[in-house]
Amino acid sequence: MLRIDLALPRPVYEQIVSGLRALLVAGEFVPGEQLPTVRQLATDLGVHHNTVAESYRLLADEGWLDLRRGRGAVVLDREKPRPITAEKHGFRLRLEELIAKAITDGVPRSALAAHMAALAKKLGKP
Amino acid sequence: MIARPQMIFGSLMLAVAAFVAWVLWSLPNWSRPGLFFSVTVVPSFRDSAEAARVVSSFRMQALLHVVIGFGLVVGGAMLDRAVLLILGVLWLVAGPLVAVSIAHAKALPHAVAHSTVREASLAPRLSQLPGGWILQLSPFALLLVTAAYVAAHWNQIPDRFPVHWGLNGMPNGWSTRTTMGVYGPLYFGAGLVAMISLLSYAITHAARRPPASGGSDGKRDHPQRMALVLLGVELFVAAMLSFVALLPLMGSPGVTSMMITAAGIVIGVIFLSRWQSHGISNSAASVQPGDGTPDSCWKLGLFYFNPDDPALFVEKRVGIGYTINFARGAAWAILVLTVVLPLGLAALVIRNRP
Repeated sequence: MLRIDLALPRPVYEQIVSGLRALLVAGEFVPGEQLPTVRQLATDLGVHHNTVAESYRLLADEGWLDLRRGRGAVVLDREKPRPITAEKHGFRLRLEELIAKAITDGVPRSALAAHMAALAKKLGKP
Repeated sequence: MIARPQMIFGSLMLAVAAFVAWVLWSLPNWSRPGLFFSVTVVPSFRDSAEAARVVSSFRMQALLHVVIGFGLVVGGAMLDRAVLLILGVLWLVAGPLVAVSIAHAKALPHAVAHSTVREASLAPRLSQLPGGWILQLSPFALLLVTAAYVAAHWNQIPDRFPVHWGLNGMPNGWSTRTTMGVYGPLYFGAGLVAMISLLSYAITHAARRPPASGGSDGKRDHPQRMALVLLGVELFVAAMLSFVALLPLMGSPGVTSMMITAAGIVIGVIFLSRWQSHGISNSAASVQPGDGTPDSCWKLGLFYFNPDDPALFVEKRVGIGYTINFARGAAWAILVLTVVLPLGLAALVIRNRP
């Protein structure tokens, strides 16, 4: 199931990309499986079909989906990419910001560590 | 002493009136917990004293409209006044709509913001019509078989036969043994069934599916359930009009056919409404208030108009089933097809009947 919140400042297409990416990483879809069409997902979420189309295009650029006219969006068997140094650095910065915000909001450090370990384990499953 | 046909007609009208009253009485229960007469509310509001007052007021108004409407219909039939008959039918349609709009207005002060969370199932949409093409063609098959039977017994059809009966049980409308005179009901039936099939196809492909969360087992697919309901309607229409087409061969069981038709409608709708309302109650565990659509887009609480919503069909807020998004051009085309086409077909058949 995909969930978005229209009240968040984050653009809807980014929420769709993040939500689908998390599911793809967690192995919720097998290669060859078809996602809902752009129109179907846009109807079910109540958003413009261009928003969903942009999300699918971004995921296709990342190598997750194969977009072909008439076939919809098909999940690909994505090879594990070699991590790029710049991407690793950018990820570390984003993670630091997220952790700082969580600590500011009162989340205990021990809980943070436990959450991250559990998530890494869950999403890292083949 | 009241003649027998009038007694039968009166009993029939009483039964139909009771059924309509039951539908209107149950209407407040046929919506999600986070909706109250098409207003987004906290689910607990439905248990409040204020909500009980609104429901009570609506039910009293609805019953009054049923009494007045049916009174006009029966009066029009007894006195042979078409104006009263038409007024009665219009009252039966408009009266409850007004009652719903009044209840909607009373509920508005208790509105809460609708949820901005949207959820969508990523499971493949079941876009195939229930039962596949074979089952979908069965109503047409029934009409075709009837046509073949009538053709095979053409010579047994009287040259002139009744097609309408008055309240005294005597025929007061006739047709003759011609192609349109005999096959007219079947042409009309085929047109109606085709129109309903089109609607069913549009709903399975263009209706918003309810969110996957909210207590549902995930197998419930409202568009598919609605398509199944519409298939039942198609079969009923085909059966009823096949029966009408066979009447010239059967004599004049006018009143009997009316009673069978009315009983069939009542039983069928009771069954379908219980089945569909069970689907609604399954979603009672939904944590989100409302249905994700803004209250401001529901005009008079009944008509949905939202140009930002890509869905052609959305779930009704009052009652069971789907309604169209009047902001979409395609939705108007569907409305024209489903209303104008049957009326046009009926007019064509009646006009061309000898």
